[in-house]
Amino acid sequence: METQTHKPHRPAQSGSKAGKTGKGKQKTGFNEKAFAPKSGRRADRQARRNVERDEARLHVPLVNRTPDDEPPPVIIAIVGPPGVGKTTLLKSLVRRYAKQTLSEAKGPITVVAGKKRRLTFIECNSDLNSMIDIGKVADLVLLMIDGSYGFEMETFEFLNILQAHGFPKVIGILTHLDLIKKQATLRATKKLLKRRFWNEIYQGAKLFYLSGVLNGRYPDTEILNLSRFISVMKFRPLIFRNTHPYLLADRIEDLTPREEIRTSKGRCDRTVTLYGYLRGTNLRQNTKVHIPGVGDMDIKTVTKLGDPCPLPDADSEKRRKLSEKKKLLVHAPMSDVGGVMYDKDAVWINVPGNFTRGATDVPHGEGERMVIDLQDARSNIRLFGSSSNPLTIGARHHDRENSYSYDDDDDDDDDDDDDDEEEEVSEADSEFRAGDQVFSEDEQDDQGSGEDDEQPRTGPSNTGRHAVRTIVRPTRGFFSKEKEGGDVAFADSDSELGLSDDEGRDRAGEIMYADDEKEILSDGEEEFDEDSEDEVPAWKSGLAAKASAAFEELNRRRWHKDWVAMIYSSSLSPAQIANSADTTEVKQDEIDDDFFRVNSSGAVNQDDLDMTKEVLSPVALKEWEDEGVLDSLKTLFITGDHDGGVADHETNAHENPEGGDFVDLEARKAQPAPAEFEGIDTGTRALVEGYRPGTYVRIELVSVPCEFIQHFDSRYPIIVGGLLAAEEHMGYLQVRIKRHRWFARTLKTNDPLIFSLGWRRFQSVPIYSLDDHSIRMRMLKYTPEHMHCYASFYGPVALPNTGFCAFNALSGETVAFRVSATGVVLDIGRSTKIVKKLKLTGVPFKIFKNTAFIRDMFTSALEVAKFEGASIRTVSGIRGQVKKALSKPEGAFRATFEDKVLMSDIIFLRAWYSIQPRRFYNPVTSLLLSDKSRWFGMRLTGQIRRDEGLKTPLAVNSTYKPIGRPSRRFNTLKVPKKLQAALPYASKPRLMKPQSKQTYMQKRAVVLEPEEKKTIALLQQIRALRKDQVARRREKQQERKETHRKKVQKDEAKDAEKEKEKKKVYMRAAGMKSKREADIEEGGSRKRRKT
Amino acid sequence: MESRSLVNFSGHQYLRQRLVLSILTGKNVRIDKIRSQDKDPGLRDYEVSLLRLLEKVTNGSVIEISVTGTAVLLKPGVVSGGPIIHDCPLSRSIGYFLEPLIMIAPFSKKPFQLTLRGITTDENDLSVDLIRTVTLPHLQLFGISDGLELRIKRRGAPPEGGGEVQFLCPIVKEVKTLNFVDPGKIKRIRGIAHAVRVNPQFSNRMIDASRSVLNRFIPDIYLYSDVYKGDESGKSPGYALSLLAESTTSAIHCSEAVSTPGETPEDIALLATRALLSEIRHGGCVDRKHQSLVLLMMVLGSEDIGQCRMEEPSVRTIQFLRDIKIFFGSVFNITPIDPTDSSNTELLYSCLGTGYVNVNRSLA
Repeated sequence: METQTHKPHRPAQSGSKAGKTGKGKQKTGFNEKAFAPKSGRRADRQARRNVERDEARLHVPLVNRTPDDEPPPVIIAIVGPPGVGKTTLLKSLVRRYAKQTLSEAKGPITVVAGKKRRLTFIECNSDLNSMIDIGKVADLVLLMIDGSYGFEMETFEFLNILQAHGFPKVIGILTHLDLIKKQATLRATKKLLKRRFWNEIYQGAKLFYLSGVLNGRYPDTEILNLSRFISVMKFRPLIFRNTHPYLLADRIEDLTPREEIRTSKGRCDRTVTLYGYLRGTNLRQNTKVHIPGVGDMDIKTVTKLGDPCPLPDADSEKRRKLSEKKKLLVHAPMSDVGGVMYDKDAVWINVPGNFTRGATDVPHGEGERMVIDLQDARSNIRLFGSSSNPLTIGARHHDRENSYSYDDDDDDDDDDDDDDEEEEVSEADSEFRAGDQVFSEDEQDDQGSGEDDEQPRTGPSNTGRHAVRTIVRPTRGFFSKEKEGGDVAFADSDSELGLSDDEGRDRAGEIMYADDEKEILSDGEEEFDEDSEDEVPAWKSGLAAKASAAFEELNRRRWHKDWVAMIYSSSLSPAQIANSADTTEVKQDEIDDDFFRVNSSGAVNQDDLDMTKEVLSPVALKEWEDEGVLDSLKTLFITGDHDGGVADHETNAHENPEGGDFVDLEARKAQPAPAEFEGIDTGTRALVEGYRPGTYVRIELVSVPCEFIQHFDSRYPIIVGGLLAAEEHMGYLQVRIKRHRWFARTLKTNDPLIFSLGWRRFQSVPIYSLDDHSIRMRMLKYTPEHMHCYASFYGPVALPNTGFCAFNALSGETVAFRVSATGVVLDIGRSTKIVKKLKLTGVPFKIFKNTAFIRDMFTSALEVAKFEGASIRTVSGIRGQVKKALSKPEGAFRATFEDKVLMSDIIFLRAWYSIQPRRFYNPVTSLLLSDKSRWFGMRLTGQIRRDEGLKTPLAVNSTYKPIGRPSRRFNTLKVPKKLQAALPYASKPRLMKPQSKQTYMQKRAVVLEPEEKKTIALLQQIRALRKDQVARRREKQQERKETHRKKVQKDEAKDAEKEKEKKKVYMRAAGMKSKREADIEEGGSRKRRKT
Repeated sequence: MESRSLVNFSGHQYLRQRLVLSILTGKNVRIDKIRSQDKDPGLRDYEVSLLRLLEKVTNGSVIEISVTGTAVLLKPGVVSGGPIIHDCPLSRSIGYFLEPLIMIAPFSKKPFQLTLRGITTDENDLSVDLIRTVTLPHLQLFGISDGLELRIKRRGAPPEGGGEVQFLCPIVKEVKTLNFVDPGKIKRIRGIAHAVRVNPQFSNRMIDASRSVLNRFIPDIYLYSDVYKGDESGKSPGYALSLLAESTTSAIHCSEAVSTPGETPEDIALLATRALLSEIRHGGCVDRKHQSLVLLMMVLGSEDIGQCRMEEPSVRTIQFLRDIKIFFGSVFNITPIDPTDSSNTELLYSCLGTGYVNVNRSLA
């Protein structure tokens, strides 16, 4: 019987029953009948609630500015306390996507995850500054929690930071679960942590469990599951990131001339380039940027580079799955990938112990290939031109039409330039000269697609360099132009032919953004250079084609002026442009890049007025007397002659018989605006719309503090945040603020506070205030408990509605919760309207009926004059008014009251004194420190006193003294004899002597009757009996209580024992934790646990 | 950080637009060599008055004028708005002061309630009629509409003036992106003929003369005769005709002619009418006099591509485009509407908005 096998049940795959399979209730969720409303009213209420809930769920739709075709990589930050397994997870994930094991994971690591998705992983250290910066750029946070320990303070701090800056997606990851041995405890812990996590994020937030570590990685299946969750993750646009361009730098390079550094002993300001994918909105040329931890910078140049980690192109798109080779792409310049690591001023090539050239079956790392190529000096090697794309298959990017793409000849030219500019190309380097190709150190910055070993190399292959080298030293610029005589001559001839439309614009573009650098090549030339052979001079190639194109252009020019070139890149005066309707060309010498010199054209014509209307000249309008001219205009009217009756129909719709109002805008249907500029070349596009998010760019910054380079540490994220025009300025910000409920102390007005607002982190001195009956903004000394208040401080302007969080200290030494307040910006301005109460007191020195003379309130008659008419009050509540200054005691004045005041009264005047926050702004420059977590700003007064060993000054008037309130003695009222005599009898004072003799009632004796005696005796006896009874009862009770007390004591002792045991367990865990931390600190990279 | 970018200019021309751009971007501007070679060097009274007015509407602005008056430094503050009264000098009309303020007003902290007194109509600047009927509808293209109003309390003709207008403008968070490429066909013509302290028949004569030309084109013509009497008519005699033509897509073209000594009302009317016709012939969706306003609002729009069809830029517009590039870094792409047609001079102006947000707007 037991061996009998039943046919297994096969659930229906299609048909009506397909959806109904599964276990009834679990599938459908609820039994609908059970939750059906029982009454009409209840149904109504339920429906209303549902509608309200749906309404609350609605949000104003946000435009997602991330381009769909080529989005920037998703930033995935791995955050958690030290020792939780962040690096292990990072390596596991990179291994999952790129099939490579990183020996050292530093800085952002970009991998291709799918056909439309790239991921940038970054590990966040536990420094609060890093957590703040990462929280502002991360799209997805993998929040790691040590399951064996529980939540730590950093986790909660990080979540609160996220909340203040727009909440990105968060996935929790529990690790170290293998340390919990008992299954029941494990389940309980998971449940507990999950509930807490859900409370913190939202009910149902995703929480992952990673069990243990195998071979230094997490189990592959678990990582695979996690990666699946990551790949389907959708991201909601966040307002701040949707309005600012930003970039997470994955590579940094110091371009400062070595000589300058040497002469200044490294103390000179540096020229630094940062590389990364643009995100947020378009980055424009003249945007100012803020690097959190460093400060505000001006962008010198932005250069679009070839994508170092491109998405699969159209070719591989045909395949359904991402090819394995694409998967191998990983871009992590700060880490050691493929044996090449880019440092701030060098490239490090790590090679394994030995390798051979011939062994083609063994794939070489990028570094190995570099070294092999170096040895092969005579061959046509492309050293750094092809660098940095270690394992790419597709040599060419699909954005080949991009005019920045270069071919060999361009590279030759370029290398020449590099040769020119790079004075310190070493002799050793020049030995590697192959043809005219030079290995120059700073060529490394040009990212391009690499060459794969498997692809056969035929002749001088494409190097895939995708960027123009724009930098030519200003001093050298002229000479290099001279050297390239051919090109320049060609350009000249262009202009003589009538500079082609596109090229002219190119030129304009180049001139515009290459401020003081000279652009040598223009795009048009490059394109022609492509086809040319090495022997033929560049300018000769394609001459005929060029000429014919120019001729065509010339023809077009006769009709249309090139407005963009004329307006933006010629030095013609506006009047010249407007009037020269038949100007066919813009002369080359007029297009000069120093257009930005002060425009002096205005000074020429002295007498013209700045007027909007043009002068109507009857002579010019004479032509309208001609009937023919008038009739020619009829086509422009709806009544006029045109194609069909469609417009007539429209007319009727638009016809407004009243005709009073001229506006009928709602009727006009807006056509959808174009998504992007069509048919313009790249140079102009960059000029007009800037660089789009998703492009890989190089940003050159000048005058960067040298400490940024000296103390560079790739473990700390570098973010380049673009600033809006308004955000460059300083002003007073009014914010709504609430002290964080977990922050232990109250916040005090005029105590420095560190804000994280916008991209910035800075210290400022806020004044807290509260709206006082909508009349005034009244200063508060301390933030209220459990309530929002206002704060005003001086700082960089941020748009209203920007969230922020504040800290008292950023250093890791603080044990308590560090987020001290959160809030939102309400208003910005150049002044604030905060007042604080000021009470002026005075005393009367002469009192008339309702008038009194008051002194000691003011010091001069002038002050009194200022307060004439002000309302005053006595302590007892008698109201009055300041009238006029008195001449005699300086500062005394006459005042009137509603009643007579007393000499003992104190008179006070309640005034409001306006105060301004201190103009203190101190950016947190943590990235400039060698020890980045030890940034200290302005200290509190108490802290300074503690540090300096000073005592708190004690003002005599502020000390508390015992208050003595002597009872008031009133003198007896003495009425003069004469007056007494004159008084009527009823009013005469009744003066009586005290009675000296005892009254009858006082002196009589009392004797009891016998019955009374008996009664009293009986009563006494009863009382005695009762007393005795009570005493005995009490004794018994005492006894009972005693036994009970003993019992309770016994129980308590038992409980205490239990508590002690519990504490022991906890302390053991805490001890292990701290020991682990100490281990990590001392051991550096030594890992805590080896499995 | 505090040393804000300073923009330098020379010459007295284009003063208004540079001040406006400076206030909108918050960049300091220094203008020197103001009529330095002139017999009467330095700022004129109306320019000083404009600077004073800008100081009134902003909070925290610093304006430094050199001793000779040939150089001005403006450190712009925050546009505060609110109720403001300003007496304009009689050397320029109210339009001179109102045009720059219209560009600033939507971006202030409080809604503008500006009262200006002076000359309401002259031959140099837009008259208050044109501002009310043409300029303000242009702002509505950008979503600035509710509560936007210009009230003409009194008219004042040059030279004595005595007019008064009240300008009410709401505040916006950000302006909408413009996409205006269809000029449509002219569907109606409106006009205001006003006459103060002259024979009221003058306005009717102007209307008749204008209709004699315009009637051939379209039947929907309403020309209003607007006669102000007594105290409301200002201190000097004068009359003028302002015309506007509106298309099916609400593109507006306008013209205006103002009385001059020795000219009959008929002459003035014909002048205005013919100017309107030549304006219509230029084509485009925006009037020549309002190119700067529309282009500025396009630059201030959200970070999408805005485009507008206009005729060739005027001299002021060309300089304005250059100034926009200096202040905002924004560049317009200007292409011919129809490259194959040589007779069509209309151009398509397109630019990516800067995503300008009214930072002054308070949430408290």
